[in-house]
Amino acid sequence: MQQVINWFFRTNTDSARDTAKDRMRNMLTHDRLELPAGRLESLEEELIAVVSRYFELDKDTTKFDLEHYERRASLVANFRLLRSKC
Amino acid sequence: MSGRVIVITSGKGGVGKTTASANLGVALANTGASVCLVDMDIGLRNLDILMGLENRVVYNLVDVIEERCKLRQALVKDKRLPNLSLLPAAQTRDKTAVNSDQMKVLCTELKSIFDFVLVDSPAGIESGFQNAVAGAEEAIVITTPEMSAVRDADRIIGLLEARKDEITQYRLVINRLRPNMVKNSDMMSVEDVLEILSVKLLGVVPEDEEIIISTNKGEPVSGTENVRSGLAYRNIARRIRGEDVPLMDLDALNGTWMTRLVKFFNPSVRV
Ligand SMILES: Nc1ncnc2c1ncn2[C@@H]1O[C@H](COP(=O)(O)OP(=O)(O)OP(=O)(O)O)[C@@H](O)[C@H]1O
Ligand SMILES: [Mg+2]
Repeated sequence: MQQVINWFFRTNTDSARDTAKDRMRNMLTHDRLELPAGRLESLEEELIAVVSRYFELDKDTTKFDLEHYERRASLVANFRLLRSKC
Repeated sequence: MSGRVIVITSGKGGVGKTTASANLGVALANTGASVCLVDMDIGLRNLDILMGLENRVVYNLVDVIEERCKLRQALVKDKRLPNLSLLPAAQTRDKTAVNSDQMKVLCTELKSIFDFVLVDSPAGIESGFQNAVAGAEEAIVITTPEMSAVRDADRIIGLLEARKDEITQYRLVINRLRPNMVKNSDMMSVEDVLEILSVKLLGVVPEDEEIIISTNKGEPVSGTENVRSGLAYRNIARRIRGEDVPLMDLDALNGTWMTRLVKFFNPSVRV
């Protein structure tokens, strides 16, 4: 019964289609930029460290997103600033 | 006269380049244009089989390039369509038998004779691909909606972008779409693939057993009425000729209740 209910309410969020789409996006971003795995993550760490020298940050809302326009990706960083460290 | 040289390419092997070449050749010829199919998969000759012309091949592309025969002698006329010819690949040579400059010269000669020159490219991104695109001004990239094929298509698109001066336009054909699987969210849809690759769509061809049957007969499906995949290739041929042909039978191809609803309220929307 549970299975029937699950099937009936099957959301699209974890469908094979969506997983494939997310993996594809990520893969192609790396392919196009010739970006090795983990490189983006280390950039993000460094950026946080730099901004943290100037500001106290709300770590929970710090966000990095890749936005795609045509065949190019933009890295969008969002830092919630709490107060200046001077 | 100057015809259009269009290369049919893919990155990943086995996604349907040769099938598309044969079918678009027949479909374009059926619109009245003169067409030459060029098999650039040197060493792995296939196009003659799909066209049912394997018994008529005397000379091949490498013979022409190495001047063992005249171009006219190597061209094999289609059985049914007098305005459709095939320039076969050599079966016993390899890709290194031809270079890009020779290919450019050959394509220049071919486009002075034919309205359309369709070049069937080998899989991959190496010399075989480089030679196949050498004389072309347009490209058709074929992919299936599978991740590995889409990834390789992206690589090819990157290479075509880098040749912007020569390749003035390229468009995507999504082959072997299984509408039911898309409907169940089991595989990527046409929109998903287009969004990921950010490329213009030329057409969608469904998965169709008729393609295998027609290959065995040596008669491309686009020459047969009432075959879904055949209609898809005919539509693509009309789009190549500049006609604005809507995507066929969207409900069956790509339909979810959502897209049907959108279409119901606004039939002009191409979902
Ligand atoms: N829409 C389709 N539905 C069903 N089968 C198909 C479809 N398109 C192609 N095929 C089958 O897929 C196989 C590979 O097709 P094809 O030889 O055209 O691919 P290719 O890209 O030219 O391969 P290669 O890279 O080896 O040259 C063939 O057996 C063909 O019949
Ligand atoms: Mg082939």
